[in-house]
Amino acid sequence: MNEAQREIGSGLKIFILLAVCFASVLAALAIGGVSLSLSEIALGEATKLEVTVLSEIRAPRVILAATVGASLAVAGAVLQGFFRNPLADPGLIGVSGGAALGAVAMIVLGSSLALPDTFAPYTMPIAAIIGSLCVTAALYAFSAYYGQFRIVTVLLVGIAINALSSVGIGIFQYLSNDAQLRSLIFWMMGSFGRAHWMTTVPCVLAMLSAVLVLITKSNSLDKLQLGENEAFHLGVDVKATKRDLVLLSAICVGAGVAVSGIIGFVGLIVPHIVRFTIAVRHKPLMIGSALVGGSLMVLADLLARMVALPAEVPVGLVTSAIGAPFFLWLITKVRP
Amino acid sequence: MLNVILVGVFFLAAETAAATDEEACLPAKDSSRIVAAGGSIAEMLYSLDAGNLLVAVDSTANYLPETANLPSIGYVRNLSAEGILALKPSLILGEHDMGPVEVLNQISNVEVEVKRIEERHSAQGIIDKFKCVARVLGKEEAAQEIFTSQFAQTVASLERTDQGSAFLPRAALVLNFVDNQPIIAGANTSGDGLLRMAGAQNIFSDIEGWKPLSRELLIAANPQHLVLTERALKSIGGLEGMLSDPLLASTDALEDNNVHAYGGMSLLGFGLQTLEVALSLKGAIK
Repeated sequence: MNEAQREIGSGLKIFILLAVCFASVLAALAIGGVSLSLSEIALGEATKLEVTVLSEIRAPRVILAATVGASLAVAGAVLQGFFRNPLADPGLIGVSGGAALGAVAMIVLGSSLALPDTFAPYTMPIAAIIGSLCVTAALYAFSAYYGQFRIVTVLLVGIAINALSSVGIGIFQYLSNDAQLRSLIFWMMGSFGRAHWMTTVPCVLAMLSAVLVLITKSNSLDKLQLGENEAFHLGVDVKATKRDLVLLSAICVGAGVAVSGIIGFVGLIVPHIVRFTIAVRHKPLMIGSALVGGSLMVLADLLARMVALPAEVPVGLVTSAIGAPFFLWLITKVRP
Repeated sequence: MLNVILVGVFFLAAETAAATDEEACLPAKDSSRIVAAGGSIAEMLYSLDAGNLLVAVDSTANYLPETANLPSIGYVRNLSAEGILALKPSLILGEHDMGPVEVLNQISNVEVEVKRIEERHSAQGIIDKFKCVARVLGKEEAAQEIFTSQFAQTVASLERTDQGSAFLPRAALVLNFVDNQPIIAGANTSGDGLLRMAGAQNIFSDIEGWKPLSRELLIAANPQHLVLTERALKSIGGLEGMLSDPLLASTDALEDNNVHAYGGMSLLGFGLQTLEVALSLKGAIK
């Protein structure tokens, strides 16, 4: 197969993935606890309840799930390429930990801050984004202080920051009262059930922009696979590229954690699925990961809200329950 | 309504809020299909003979045998908007700690009435909660009648406690044992409220909230009475399990056989059953 055929081949596969993603979103919009018909709503024959359920509850939730899935998967693909390590995961560089610490701090301390009511829905996402930005800044400052933005430094600093975040979360768990502790535990399991347009729209815009900019960096990321010196000689501004990749991945992960809690495994397994089925080059890899991640998350969330009706299970449990066995299967398949 | 819920979230930490929220107790617009989020609320609906209005309850109501055939909306703090709306409720009547708040906002956006009932950890607090629920249903007279005939005596006996006395029996309340480590009730918990209701002195009232405690501290504090949930008693292997631990067995509570176990929701749910439990405990520790 020559280069041109390969391009067409992966182009076709991406088109199929796009269709799958679109179908998953439609299915997730159509199916739910309240039975409604999308065509009736489109024709204006539905009741007010059905319209509100679709527009105020289901739509923000599905859009949020798709975007968080896409951005976690793209962040995973970028970080695996960046660290040249197939086990790299958005959790690894400490960004999800930082975001979680911010959100947990708000769950516990929020009630003692005298904030106006209108501000309430934004406090947790903002705290989580501040948490992830602090981690990213620390990551950057540490690495820059030692002269180079070395991959090993980023990785080690990430591990240290993760440890610090878990200490912080532990302290807040200890300080929390009964009700706060229970909110905190459910928040940590991840859910899209809290989705609301007011918080969904800004987070979705932040994540989508970060994903799009990351895709434009795919060529440099390909060249970085050859090693930093080689990439430099191929005309890549290695330092600036590495900085951009880390910051953009941090936005993807931080905004995602901010609105949905901690959702595991998507960032780890989706890039692997795409590498095995579509392409290893970063442009189709990232586009494919975004589509597979989005579809997977939308379907996982659909399962999470349908399986125990009228209750709901945390989506983080569903993704991990699907992800972990799949990952094992993948390992046996790759073995020669 | 939105404001009520948001304010509710800000004051979640203050478990001993001063007054019952007046607006929450106003009669509901339509109470024909009720989802109860909280065991004590469901319990009160049954005692008001309004169990037939319930379309679903949450998992904290499963101590009530009547709820066995009702759908469960999951845990009171982890509700799902669509799951609840699918049951076509006219009213969500919930405990002070139901949540998350975003989900409640989603529900009230669909113009389903959401009412959060205040909880205070005292005998009068339980009666206020009961009367509030009754008022929501327009059953104030029935509630007054039930109160007078069944609970007025109990409340009066419970409130006849000299709180200032230094001679109150010294007690500790254990929610559960995790790896033999007790989770005890500190200040501002339902457990602390229960001990005070029963006329006991909580020896851990200088600790805030529910906290895991080293067994050493429990033994050093040497409670005269150990109050625990049935689950906690089971998790440590019953009374024999406790006695087989030489350290625990050396406390006054075990030496004098003053171990009192009750069902978790009857003990700490602050429904009407909690009044009976508190009275029975008060009798047992005198």
